[in-house]
Amino acid sequence: MALRYSELMSVDPDAVDAAFFDELRQHYSDDEIVELGAFIGFNLGYHTFFGTLKFYPLFSPDGRLVSQAESEKLYGAAPASLKPEAAE
Amino acid sequence: MSHIAPLPLDAITDPELRALMAEGEALGVPDDLFARIVARAPKQAVPLMRALLMSHAQGDVDHKLKEIMRILLARFAGDKYLASLRSNKARAMGLTETRIDDGCFAYEDDGKGFSEAEKCALRYADLMFLDANQVDKAFYDEMKKHWSEAQIMELGAFIAFHYGMAMFMRSLGTKAAS
Repeated sequence: MALRYSELMSVDPDAVDAAFFDELRQHYSDDEIVELGAFIGFNLGYHTFFGTLKFYPLFSPDGRLVSQAESEKLYGAAPASLKPEAAE
Repeated sequence: MSHIAPLPLDAITDPELRALMAEGEALGVPDDLFARIVARAPKQAVPLMRALLMSHAQGDVDHKLKEIMRILLARFAGDKYLASLRSNKARAMGLTETRIDDGCFAYEDDGKGFSEAEKCALRYADLMFLDANQVDKAFYDEMKKHWSEAQIMELGAFIAFHYGMAMFMRSLGTKAAS
């Protein structure tokens, strides 16, 4: 439900309606819902902003401090953390 | 009515939060409804309120321009609550409803009298969540002709935070108290 809240706030905010909140309340208290909602809103805004800045990780996968130009070559278009091997 | 009931005013006893609420009431943005909702998550309430107030009322960029951008973002987010609030400070500085509407809907129109720097900042707010792909290197190169890097960071962080909070308030279905 929390992941759905995070997804819908961005892609289909109309779906976050009274019925959605009734379902959310079966799993989270009102206080927890506020904590989740503020967290999601904050991240929704900042990830979009940071995405426009096009900066890359400061460190290479083996831990070296690298320039942005080298980092771009290393990591390419996709953040390393989203690559399947990063989760292994 | 909001999906989440705001706390009663007398349930908020944290002096730091109460001081920030008084600051918000004086500015007009946010009013105490926002604080009474976020106070349900007490560890987040103070930093959220402080960031909202500081990013809007402090910094190097003209407060009137930020107020127009804030309303543009709240309207774009479909958040009727934050879109309905007005900064008393911006009003005292001469900002009118006509100017706000021009800034939201017709800032590119040369007849409306927005400077190139203001147009760029309003375009930044407009495009960030409409089509972030257009906020590219060429866009930032254009921004740098009118704004310092520090001002661009101030504007970008302001846009990100206020849009995020507008989407949050929209998700709660919050309506203005009056």
